[in-house]
Amino acid sequence: MRRRHMHAFPSPCFRAGAREGFRAFLPLSVGLIPWALVTGMSMVGIGMTPLQAMGMNVIVFAGTAQLGTLPLIAAGAPLWLIVATTLALNLRFVIFSAAIAQGFHGHGAGTRWLCGHLLTDGVFAACMVKMLETEDKDWRLGYYLAPSLWSWLLWQVFALVGVLAAGSIPKDWSLEFMATIALLVLLLPMAKLRPMLAAAGAGGATAVLLNGLPLKLGLFAAIFVGIGAGLAVDHRQGKGRAA
Amino acid sequence: MTIPFDDASLWLIFVLAGLATTLPRASFIVLGGRVALPSLVQRALRYAPAAALAAIVVPDVLLVAGEFAPLNPKLAAAGAAAGAALLSRNPWLPFIAGMGVLLALRLGFGL
Repeated sequence: MRRRHMHAFPSPCFRAGAREGFRAFLPLSVGLIPWALVTGMSMVGIGMTPLQAMGMNVIVFAGTAQLGTLPLIAAGAPLWLIVATTLALNLRFVIFSAAIAQGFHGHGAGTRWLCGHLLTDGVFAACMVKMLETEDKDWRLGYYLAPSLWSWLLWQVFALVGVLAAGSIPKDWSLEFMATIALLVLLLPMAKLRPMLAAAGAGGATAVLLNGLPLKLGLFAAIFVGIGAGLAVDHRQGKGRAA
Repeated sequence: MTIPFDDASLWLIFVLAGLATTLPRASFIVLGGRVALPSLVQRALRYAPAAALAAIVVPDVLLVAGEFAPLNPKLAAAGAAAGAALLSRNPWLPFIAGMGVLLALRLGFGL
């Protein structure tokens, strides 16, 4: 592909990249649908109005973080703890962001902020390798933005379907428990690795033991204990390989 | 359920949670390749989601009104959901199994 300087946007290279990115991501994107539905239903399940639920869905745009904060919001946890927990659930994105950053070389700050805001696990997993090995910056941007915007659209549309469906489900069906199931399903594949299992086990146990602490401080402590346990087991495994 | 926050507080939570999502995502993409993350920090960050998820889920299924209650409908429902997630690739099944068990125990048996 010849590198062209074009002021028209989107350029042909951008469009070629967008087509290829969309094609690569389309089959994966189907997996977003149940999550969006469940997130929509769970937000209404803890008592949000449809407007609040869709507001959260647009502003936060992160399934794990949204689902993870719902039990805290429902329990009336302090604001700082809700934000700290959101941050803990999102720290993996710092790693993803560092890994894919080179792919945005040559683009301005505004484009980078938009792309950063749209970074999701699925798009990262599907797009990172090609993003880093392609020369043309417009092609790369198209390849990233098309699946990202498609994810955004699917997320909003199917969350809205979930929000509207939740209204017609009886109140005593404990819909808020869908958030717990969703978090559990996210946790299970992580726990297949030993250090992750240690982090989850230590984090879960600490949260139960310190449950009596005011302001849900136990949750905050549990995240640190869990990270420490994960690092400790990771370190021991590393030593085992070296020996 | 009613939420123990008023409307304005809830929107404030959304904005702050949105920042706590966009800032980690945009961090290195916006900074560019100028800064590198120390490897110890990288490894520590990997374990944060598992620790946080477990710290939310485990108390929710093991405690009833703040008391340790190893036999309760939510734990049984979580077990059914986990079993479905481990045995099947169907993304709907954990929710059907978990909610099915919870509703059967709560509404059917009044637990």
